[in-house]
Amino acid sequence: MNAKNQVNKKMGCVFNVQRYSVHDGPGIRTIIFLKGCPLSCRWCSNPESQYAEPELAFNRNKCIGTSECFRCSTFCAFDAISEAADGKISIDRQKCTKCFRCVAACPSKAMHTFGKMMSAKEVLDSIESESMFYARSGGGITISGGEPLHQIDFVEEIFKEAKRRRIDVTMETCGFADWEKLQRAAGYMKSILFDIKSMDPVKHEEYTGVSNELILQNLQCLREAFPDLQIFVRTPLIPGFNDTEEDIKAILTFIKDMPNVKYELLPYHRMGQQKYEYLDRPYEMIEEKLQDETYSKLQSLVSAKREIH
Amino acid sequence: MSSCCTVLSPHEQRILEEQQGIQNFAGRERIYDILNTFKAERPKIDVERAKYFTESFKQTEGQALILRWAKAMKHIVENMTVYIDDHQLLAGRVGYQGRYGILYPELDGDFLDLALEQMPSRVESPFNISDADAKVVIEDIAPYWKGKTFHEALTAALPEETLKYTYDPKDPLKSRFIVNETASFRSSIQWVHDYEKVLKKGFKGIKEEAQAKLAALDPFSAVDTMEKKPFLEAVVIACDAIALWANRHAKMAFDMAKKEKNPVRKQELLDMAERCAWVPENPARNFAEAVQSQWFTQMFSRMEQKTGTIISNGRMDQYLYPYFKQDMDAGILTEEKAIELLECMWLGMAQFIDLYISPTGGAFNEGYAHWEAVTIGGQTPDGCDATNELTYLFLQSKREFPMHYPDLAARIHNRAPARFLHEVAETVKEGSGFPKLINDEEVVPLLLAKGASFEEAYDYAVSGCAECRMPNRDTYTSPNAYINFPAAVEMTMYNGKMKLHGDEIIGLQTGDPCEFKTWEEYWDAYLKQHINFLKQAFIQQHTIINLRAKHFAWPTGSALHDLCMNECKDLHTPVIEGGIDLGYFEFMGYGTVIDSLAAIKKLVYEEKVLTMAEIIEAMQCNFEGKEVIRQLLANAPKYGNNDGYADEIGKALDLECVKFTKKYSKELGVHLDLRIVPFTSHVPFGKVVGATPNGRKAFTPVSDGASASHGADVNGPTAVLLSNFNTKNLGYRERAARLVNIKFSPSCVAGEEGTEKLVSFIKTWCDLKLWHIQFNVINRETLLAAKKDPDKYRGLIVRIAGYSAYFTDLSPDLQDDLIARTEHTSM
Repeated sequence: MNAKNQVNKKMGCVFNVQRYSVHDGPGIRTIIFLKGCPLSCRWCSNPESQYAEPELAFNRNKCIGTSECFRCSTFCAFDAISEAADGKISIDRQKCTKCFRCVAACPSKAMHTFGKMMSAKEVLDSIESESMFYARSGGGITISGGEPLHQIDFVEEIFKEAKRRRIDVTMETCGFADWEKLQRAAGYMKSILFDIKSMDPVKHEEYTGVSNELILQNLQCLREAFPDLQIFVRTPLIPGFNDTEEDIKAILTFIKDMPNVKYELLPYHRMGQQKYEYLDRPYEMIEEKLQDETYSKLQSLVSAKREIH
Repeated sequence: MSSCCTVLSPHEQRILEEQQGIQNFAGRERIYDILNTFKAERPKIDVERAKYFTESFKQTEGQALILRWAKAMKHIVENMTVYIDDHQLLAGRVGYQGRYGILYPELDGDFLDLALEQMPSRVESPFNISDADAKVVIEDIAPYWKGKTFHEALTAALPEETLKYTYDPKDPLKSRFIVNETASFRSSIQWVHDYEKVLKKGFKGIKEEAQAKLAALDPFSAVDTMEKKPFLEAVVIACDAIALWANRHAKMAFDMAKKEKNPVRKQELLDMAERCAWVPENPARNFAEAVQSQWFTQMFSRMEQKTGTIISNGRMDQYLYPYFKQDMDAGILTEEKAIELLECMWLGMAQFIDLYISPTGGAFNEGYAHWEAVTIGGQTPDGCDATNELTYLFLQSKREFPMHYPDLAARIHNRAPARFLHEVAETVKEGSGFPKLINDEEVVPLLLAKGASFEEAYDYAVSGCAECRMPNRDTYTSPNAYINFPAAVEMTMYNGKMKLHGDEIIGLQTGDPCEFKTWEEYWDAYLKQHINFLKQAFIQQHTIINLRAKHFAWPTGSALHDLCMNECKDLHTPVIEGGIDLGYFEFMGYGTVIDSLAAIKKLVYEEKVLTMAEIIEAMQCNFEGKEVIRQLLANAPKYGNNDGYADEIGKALDLECVKFTKKYSKELGVHLDLRIVPFTSHVPFGKVVGATPNGRKAFTPVSDGASASHGADVNGPTAVLLSNFNTKNLGYRERAARLVNIKFSPSCVAGEEGTEKLVSFIKTWCDLKLWHIQFNVINRETLLAAKKDPDKYRGLIVRIAGYSAYFTDLSPDLQDDLIARTEHTSM
């Protein structure tokens, strides 16, 4: 391995740094979102997280329109940007080479790059002033994605640097990664957010692109290898996929005898829908809606289980 | 409306239930009965105070001002109508039943007649007046005051140069909202009395003190004869007047009791009669008397003069506690009864509206604004935690009966008990925006640095929207300047001119900015405009400080102040020995200025993406057809994001202000410190400023308080706090309050976990030593719905810089402004 590769391994592709996050791990946290995911869940609310490389996004609402501005086209050397019927622009994704010159040219930030190469030091420098909030709330940073383990070297760099600065770290994982990677990351954490989406391997593969066997096996290993690690198992409750009593009961049964595991349902939302449009990708779940009654019924199921423990 | 992804705050839930006819009155029957007597009614003007004040003044010309004032108060209470309201347990209103406001012709009587014609149709805070009352104003009141008001005297005294920044040259009634004086629409800045003195001594005790001093005067001394004697006589008259006023209520309550058929109400009236016959003349003997005594004192004070933002209530959980504890221990009081009595007071407050006659005053206090701060929590004079069982009842009342009166302020310090922080957070979550928080860790050291003792500093009370007072040490009452610094940016861009005023040269001619080769040249030009504004503000203040004592006196306020009684000097006297004069000047549009300068520095001088000429041209046409330029400007670094680029400019601006006041305050004998707390006034100030280089459109609101420009804070609430911290010059003591608004959607703070996170957030805010914070827990959807259908949302309370108001009382302008604020949601 040469020196150049060493440097590159320490850089990672970050698509968002979200401060004051209060729903992803203990206390007040900053979430570092990393790009790249082995799953392709139909409901994914972060479609920009799926590919590992930086991507071009276009927010139509922010576009000034070609009557006043066509700067992006001027800066595009590959003729990938043309005028759209609505007076705004459209991107020919085949021609686009992802040079992102249009992003720099766009005055209104309608053009945006999802994904920025950063070093662990840059990440920590940008958030360290928030550490006062972490200290008071028992918070810290949460690495999310995408799937953070996809960039395990970078994650480990962040974790090492965070430890040095006495900042608590956790991670939100889909669990689909080599055990060795998960094991490397787990050593730095006091808690972890671990998704179990469904116990049914066939359905899992149909909706996420992969089977759940590796995921379930990783959770077992994690629990045994790191008995002090607090594990928050979370299930995104997706209409038409796992919003039935059977689905949730199956998951509850699976984690029933795991003492260091807490469980939480995450109700489906469509907030990510707009981002599919930014990326010119279809969103398949437009019509789906999680019924209030369904959610409260399943929520009470979860609460009841909690009582038993 | 409700779904699994939408969490309503309890306040929103209550409004929803009210719409569906489900109301939970249990245990609050009396309170809701009183509320229903005035809810949703447009306030009326009551002219009695102005009428009798004027009558008396006509009779006392040539006498010492404080004596005239005391006599006028006595004349008022001898003649005014006295009321006892149905269901009420407290007596002491100073005008018509329902919501009402009163007039202070000594302030602005010169244009009362004119103003009355516009009052009912005014967009901001309209009032009704009967034809008969209007006739009294026009024929009996206004003519006497022509040529005598403070407003006219100030206009005459200000130098030509300063005037052009202050008033419209064609119409001195109209503020220019550039360097804005606020002394002509109120006779004192926010204030808080030492109510404890009344409860302990009674006005009889204070009167006896004055009489003893009178007897001890040196009959051969000119000062004793000409200054001290009228002062002390005035105190005696004022003490008699308030006792007389209370006794008229006692008599009325007794007469009503005789006629009352309902035995329960009959007894209540008899009890009221007994209390009113005893307090505030004598020391309070129990909790009910203490509350009644305080209420008479503050209502009398409201009649006595127009204190900016209404007279504050001081540390109620401290001075009422001994009476509460004594009665609880004796078994004659329950927590429910104590809360009921306090809520009777809140309802009295809700009916008295701070009426501003001048359009400027009205614009400053939109939505019938009020800041009669009730202080809870904090530390005792010896530095221990001050919370007690009564403290928690104030919070409980606010949660269960979330009226927008009074303005509740919780003092937070770094050893505040977990229960207190937790209950504060629970109350904030309620959604009405209360309490606002004031930080002992910032305020106490600053008071010490400005000359207070530890005991005084630990015992401060919140006063007005964000200020702090030491009731026996503070002696500064002059209302202060509000400076529109975004106008200084405009003047830098247009070489001394403003878009609104065409070719008129108002500011300094600092040169054509297109000629400036470097950022430093531009910054220097801006600073010249900036410092010139400060200079004009200080000239105003010099004039105001010296003029006010000739126009206003404050017998009761002075009688309650140790130093005034020692020196036999009215509180409005420019210098009172031993006093600390804590004033301020207001930085309007802090975020707007920072963002404008950051955009110019970055885009013109560093990245050279735009030329100065292009920006000026785009500003001239309000960015019509210049959206590219506007977007480039709007996307430059912004204050409120913990972004070093913008924050560095903010800190430099702060430094220029504190340096100036450090140098020039001393010669005025006061602390005129930098304050960044405008309330609703960022709307009228925005209306005079054309498009600005941060991409803000012409005549829209400037940024409010120390908050980011609307929608500019995209990094969440932690970054908002950090930017505030980053932009302060901690090495200087020349700073006053900074106001920070944080808006949360209820999902951010939902559940016990949400409460814990809010507590952590508050603790970090305390660590950061930021002066003030307030929260607005609301859904954007709720605001939009309320704007569309105001009738359904009359009860909706929202937080606007320093106070809460019913959302639907606000002008559409301000509603939009609220909606535009960044909502900090975290999915």
